[in-house]
Amino acid sequence: MLYQRVRRRFGTAPILLDGPVGAEAVRRGIRWRKHGMLADSEAVARIHQDYLAAGADLLRTNTFGLNGRIYLNVFKNPAHMAHIGAPGLADLADRLLDRAVALAREARGRSGRDDVPIAGVISPLEHVFRPDRAPDYGAAREEHGRIADRLASGCDLLLLEAFGTDRETRAAVDAAADTHHPFWASFAVGESGDLLSGESLAVAARYAVERGAAALIATAAPLADVLRAHPVLARLGQPTGVAPLCGLFDPPSWKFEFHPQFAELPDPRAFAREVRAASNDTAIVGAWCGATPEHIAALRREVPSG
Amino acid sequence: MAERFYGPLRGRLEAGQPVILDGAIGTEILRRDVTWADHQNLSRPEVILALHADYVHAGADVLSTNTFQLSKRSLLSHFCDEAHMQRVGRPGLIDRPEASLRAAVALAVEARARAAGNRPVAIAGAITTLEWCFRPDLAPDDNAAMTEYVELIGILADAGCDLVLVETVNSVGEAVVAARAARQVGLPSWIAFVPDEEGRLFTGETMAQAAAALAAERPDAILLNCAPPLDCLVGLRELAPQSPVATGVYPHVGRFDPPEWMFTDEYPPAGYVVEAQRWRDLGATVLGGCCGTTPEHIAALARTFRPS
Repeated sequence: MLYQRVRRRFGTAPILLDGPVGAEAVRRGIRWRKHGMLADSEAVARIHQDYLAAGADLLRTNTFGLNGRIYLNVFKNPAHMAHIGAPGLADLADRLLDRAVALAREARGRSGRDDVPIAGVISPLEHVFRPDRAPDYGAAREEHGRIADRLASGCDLLLLEAFGTDRETRAAVDAAADTHHPFWASFAVGESGDLLSGESLAVAARYAVERGAAALIATAAPLADVLRAHPVLARLGQPTGVAPLCGLFDPPSWKFEFHPQFAELPDPRAFAREVRAASNDTAIVGAWCGATPEHIAALRREVPSG
Repeated sequence: MAERFYGPLRGRLEAGQPVILDGAIGTEILRRDVTWADHQNLSRPEVILALHADYVHAGADVLSTNTFQLSKRSLLSHFCDEAHMQRVGRPGLIDRPEASLRAAVALAVEARARAAGNRPVAIAGAITTLEWCFRPDLAPDDNAAMTEYVELIGILADAGCDLVLVETVNSVGEAVVAARAARQVGLPSWIAFVPDEEGRLFTGETMAQAAAALAAERPDAILLNCAPPLDCLVGLRELAPQSPVATGVYPHVGRFDPPEWMFTDEYPPAGYVVEAQRWRDLGATVLGGCCGTTPEHIAALARTFRPS
């Protein structure tokens, strides 16, 4: 099983994550609609391949922020969506989840890198930077359960990415644990180093570990904030990592779902050196939104290969 | 200045003569193969200018600015709060909405200057509910809404709008606050509601309730928009007998395919005019188009209904 190869790396050499697909697609001028997977699927596959060429040890599916809510939220209710919406919106997210897994696998095959595991990304159901909009546990558990089951069948592990509230972390963790698939948990942190919601990172991360999370990552914030959070994770006895924001969020003036547009990207070499210098002892190294294949390649030069 | 352009149109409204509103802005940007991830007022002004000019040439009496949902709140909705925006957001984001609002008005004014000749064409600052237009459950409280509407409408007035068009409104409460804010700023207002299939507001309130509540705020027109033509017709049947002011209709055609639009040929311009005749028969004076409509739809309306 591919995941076992990654697990064996813990304690010997850091694992380098790939970069974001959505932010890179937007940077390349692709219109951000349907996660790029209908009109621009070849471009999405190309981005995966570019991250592999840059030296990533793990490939993430293009499923960050992908769930049925991103379509339903812009209608009054399901009946209104059926009345004025395009045909097929009700199950579009499910179809795109399947497509994302297929594209990641296709890119891996084309790159001749069948040794690289694919992580199925599960993310907050509402906007990643709006913890106040996180659903209650029951709704989140049900929705994350469906996503986890769907991704688990085609992925080598699940990555719960950038969770910023305690209740939704628990819901996603329970959903992932119930698939009996290996899973990692990453947390969106705030300036204090706690969850973005202000709730305790230690409490949420401990719950993830108790339910079987095999690694913990601090993410979705500037490097300084991620580094403030990391020691909390490191105390829990599992492999840990950092994946800081790379550049600055530059959202659209239209009010739709999370739109991965980032600006003022740092110089790749300087970014990689700064990240590596600050996270020399972590088992996992990566970069969150804004990072490009050039940033991952620069990190590869700083992070020893296994 | 505002009266120079809007005064003659107000006279037509009061006389029950048709006034032609323009068609879609956002979906027309898409149809011209430009993303609407941003309003493009600052990044692709030539696209916005050209589509406004196309609507003037089509015969529109009123141009709506490319400012739907453009507000400080929209940008802030992508962050935890303003402090978070400053920490992880691009510098200057908080000032971008006002810059884009002003640029949008300037583009509409310029299109009028280039294309309208001596014809009076009014510029309507187009705004919508402060939260998502189809989600009355997200609406802010009245005090917060009043503050934000006064600020938004104040910018539009200062930038050169002749009236404000508050569109796709989903509740009586927010409509009243927006109309009151316009009155406070001193800009004429048109209030457009999005009707459901039964001709009610998305809150379940009736058109009669909406018309009664707005009477004290004195908008110049109450309209229906951003629903299929048949839903608007049902809504107009409820609204027209109750409205204390002029009424109007500008439905969408096609299907919402978030974050974009699916264009269909269900209502080509000739068929759209057939629908519009039904609205006229019920007394509607403002006729235009919402998402999915094009300059060709507006040209067909103008040829058929605008007094020569």
